[in-house]
Amino acid sequence: MDLTLIGEIMAGAMFLGVIGMLMLGFPVAFTLAGTSIIFGLIGLSLGVFDFSNMAALAGRYTGYMTNEVLVAVPLFIFMGVMLERSNIAEQLLTTMGKLFGNMRGGLGISVIIVGALLAASTGVVGATVVTMGLISLPAMIKAGYDPKLACGTISASGTLGQIIPPSTVLIFMGDMIAGMHSQAQMQMGNFAPSAVSVGDLFAGAFFPGLLLVGIYIAYMLFMAVVRPESCPATPVPEDERKDLPREIIVALVPPLLLIIAVLGSILGGIATPTEASSVGAVGATLLATLRGKMSFAILKHTAHATAKITSMVFVILFGASVFSVVFRQMGGDDLVHEFLSNIPGGAMGAMIAVMIVMFVLGFILDTFEIIFIVLPITAPTLLLLGVDPIWLGVMIGVNLQTSFLTPPFGFALFYLRGVAPASVSTGMIYRGAVPFVILQIIAIVLLFIFPGIVTWLPDQLY
Amino acid sequence: QGNITWRMVTTWPRNFPGLGVGAQRLADRITTASGGRLTVEVYSAGELVPPLQSLDAVIDGTAEMSHGAAYYWQNKSVALSFFTGVPFGMTSREMASWVRYMGGQELWDEVYDQFGVQGFLSGDTGTQTGGWFKNEITGLSDLQGLRFRTPGLGGQVWQALGVSVTNMAAGEIFQSLQSGTLDAAEFVGPYNDLALGFYQVCNHYYTSSFVEPGLATELVVDKAKYQALPDDLQAIIRDVSQAEYDQVASDFYANDPRALNTLVNEHGVTLHNAFPDDVVEAAAGAAKEIIGGILNSDDDLTRRVARSFIDSMNLTRTRTEATDLTYALARQRYLDYSDL
Amino acid sequence: MHSLSVIMRAINGLNRLIGGIFSWLSVAIVVVCFWVVIERYFFGNTRLWMQDLYPWLSGVMFTAVAGYALLNNDHVRVDIFYRPTSSRNKAWMDLIGVLVFLLPFTYVVAIYCYTFVARSWGLREGSANPGGAEGLFLVKGFILVFAATLALQGISMLIRSILILRGREDLVPHDYRYETLMG
Ligand code: NA
Ligand code: NA
Repeated sequence: MDLTLIGEIMAGAMFLGVIGMLMLGFPVAFTLAGTSIIFGLIGLSLGVFDFSNMAALAGRYTGYMTNEVLVAVPLFIFMGVMLERSNIAEQLLTTMGKLFGNMRGGLGISVIIVGALLAASTGVVGATVVTMGLISLPAMIKAGYDPKLACGTISASGTLGQIIPPSTVLIFMGDMIAGMHSQAQMQMGNFAPSAVSVGDLFAGAFFPGLLLVGIYIAYMLFMAVVRPESCPATPVPEDERKDLPREIIVALVPPLLLIIAVLGSILGGIATPTEASSVGAVGATLLATLRGKMSFAILKHTAHATAKITSMVFVILFGASVFSVVFRQMGGDDLVHEFLSNIPGGAMGAMIAVMIVMFVLGFILDTFEIIFIVLPITAPTLLLLGVDPIWLGVMIGVNLQTSFLTPPFGFALFYLRGVAPASVSTGMIYRGAVPFVILQIIAIVLLFIFPGIVTWLPDQLY
Repeated sequence: QGNITWRMVTTWPRNFPGLGVGAQRLADRITTASGGRLTVEVYSAGELVPPLQSLDAVIDGTAEMSHGAAYYWQNKSVALSFFTGVPFGMTSREMASWVRYMGGQELWDEVYDQFGVQGFLSGDTGTQTGGWFKNEITGLSDLQGLRFRTPGLGGQVWQALGVSVTNMAAGEIFQSLQSGTLDAAEFVGPYNDLALGFYQVCNHYYTSSFVEPGLATELVVDKAKYQALPDDLQAIIRDVSQAEYDQVASDFYANDPRALNTLVNEHGVTLHNAFPDDVVEAAAGAAKEIIGGILNSDDDLTRRVARSFIDSMNLTRTRTEATDLTYALARQRYLDYSDL
Repeated sequence: MHSLSVIMRAINGLNRLIGGIFSWLSVAIVVVCFWVVIERYFFGNTRLWMQDLYPWLSGVMFTAVAGYALLNNDHVRVDIFYRPTSSRNKAWMDLIGVLVFLLPFTYVVAIYCYTFVARSWGLREGSANPGGAEGLFLVKGFILVFAATLALQGISMLIRSILILRGREDLVPHDYRYETLMG
């Protein structure tokens, strides 16, 4: 058998091997790297891998450690953790709940809107689900909501942070796709490619984010009509309504200002995402201070949480680099390229195949792993086939948002399980997510049919 | 039997006009000339290692060859700047003369010996353009706070004139100009700049750079592996590099003016041949100060490289200025073929 | 067993110390990056060294605290089977994972990056950008710090596994036991 074929078989086996080994439950980053090293050793004995390639890790790691674009990741994480500590979410949930409480499905709608607002002010998924699970879930259950609907609404709204900018996932994808896009364009002989940046991806994700919010709200209204008993109204006493306008202003204005300053400066092309993220981090700190929440302990907590979350994400990238070095050297990239190029239906056929693979991987893996493993090996071919880079990034973002909601391994479901009252069973949380996964698929199909939802805003901006 | 495959990493994107194409052609020529005994596989910027890690990749054995520019590694040795070109330094003709006949190559070998690699000239862009500006530069005062993408020692010269200098990758420049993060940018010359689309956002194009009068690219090889090759393969690498130095320069010489015509005639770009006198004079002063600083470096080898460069340039510039420049001016002034 | 426990606690203490110190770099990143923005937009001024500094601080931070994050079980796992299983089974899985995945990974990183880092130190390498910051060699050095702190934490996890499998969970500090870490 010739070496190219052996290499490609090894690369394919390694991909499946990695997925299998991950089931052992050892941290993903190290499992990825370790499994790749094992396959590298087998490849070495078969003559299809040369370990001197591992020295490329030093250069790659240095690249990540000095990358200006990726600094936006810790900065947005810092901003998110700081905002979480200033109890903005709590205040928003209470006031919004009062505002919409008088209508059927109102509490649910307020959760969705607060989820969207928080999503627009933080780069990570996690804290939002926890906060809303702690505050809104008991309130919804007390009001007589179907626990499944309540759980689904909270987990889905909590994951909006991934797609509504700013988003750490979009930052990584923007950085990766930018390089692949210019390489693909030059390979095709276009040396004046419209550059793609993290800012473009943020702009592209803006309307799809709103679309999702709209779909969630529409679903809630639909339930209010079809199954009114699943989401009853929670009338607010008259004396509490008096103060409501003031409460709304107090709760809404500061985060809105921050969102406008950060998102507005990025989408308006005034500042790069990294620059804006530092303004966001300082703004969040200021907000916490104004609200009297600032203390040494809070700052320390924020610093520690930022460092650990950032490290967790980048270490996955480090582990995935080992995978990518071995996979490329054994010819895996060529294998994927051939496979995707020969799928019937051209670019769209290949795109559908990649989206399905990512969706399925989403059941067991989480967004970052999938992006770091799958994007580098598939995106170059998709871009060569003519797929729009911004659309590609946003489609992946929305697609992988479902990975937070799909059992058995859905982060949002775990977070919610951690804070839900004992009366809510795990089964309810899982079943509650199902309609929202379907809504998510509907959104993906809509974006597939109407790519303009993604590409219109970035086109307008420049 | 005995066929060898070498990995070449480059600092350029695949197929990039002039440079990326040149790297690929150099690799192909070695493969062809050796009858396949030495096959060179090209990994473009970022494919194996990030673009600015390619020298390290050769030193560490991840690759056997690197195609790039020596001044990218000035943080390994300041002396390496001179083998690419420095502000107010040598033109490409002068540079090749220094490297081949005036002790340049020997000094370069001495610098690279520290890293177990060897460098060959592998291409040259010729004198580069000064850059793209959103607004015309009428004097030094227009430069204060101007946000300008320009790397290397040239960046330091501009910084000394009050410019706010940033460096960013080729792919990010266009958008930064568009969004207003940058007011100006320089990259290489019309051939590349047309491709990068800068004319869509900047109208003022300065056609002559003082910071990159001749930018030479290099081929770096793993010295031990190179010397272990049979003599004929060594000769092939050396000679192909030498041929490519000329080939790349010709590519730019032929295609820069074509691209410039397109920029002016089809895209309405406003050309300025030179920056205002006070800018050029101040820049020359700043360049002298920076090169003077290197001449007083703590490192003996760096001092010797700078000395050799300056001495050689002092000699070769007399020929350039007395002969080539005089002729060019005479032709410009008295000869007009446009009616033929 | 007691001496193993002492080693484990020493490693945990070391990573806790490193993590506690280097986490503060996140605040430094905010301050430096924000200052660069202020200078750029309000004073029309840039300092090249500062533009290098905040990405570098980020790189140093996330490599230095990797071991600390492992100590706190903050590195994401696919825990479909891992989470619900017993402490003994977790101990076995971690034992295998450290030996087969983590230690080989840190070994490869250390061995194949060593000359790269050592060369950078030898040259006292600064920014690739003239006029940029000094001390890139320190940043690159953190690739080895990353490998070392992770490998140490891996050894600490090995010891934890051995203690649990030998029925001596009492020698594992409370905040390092599975029931605490898994919340
Ligand atoms: Na977000
Ligand atoms: Na999932």
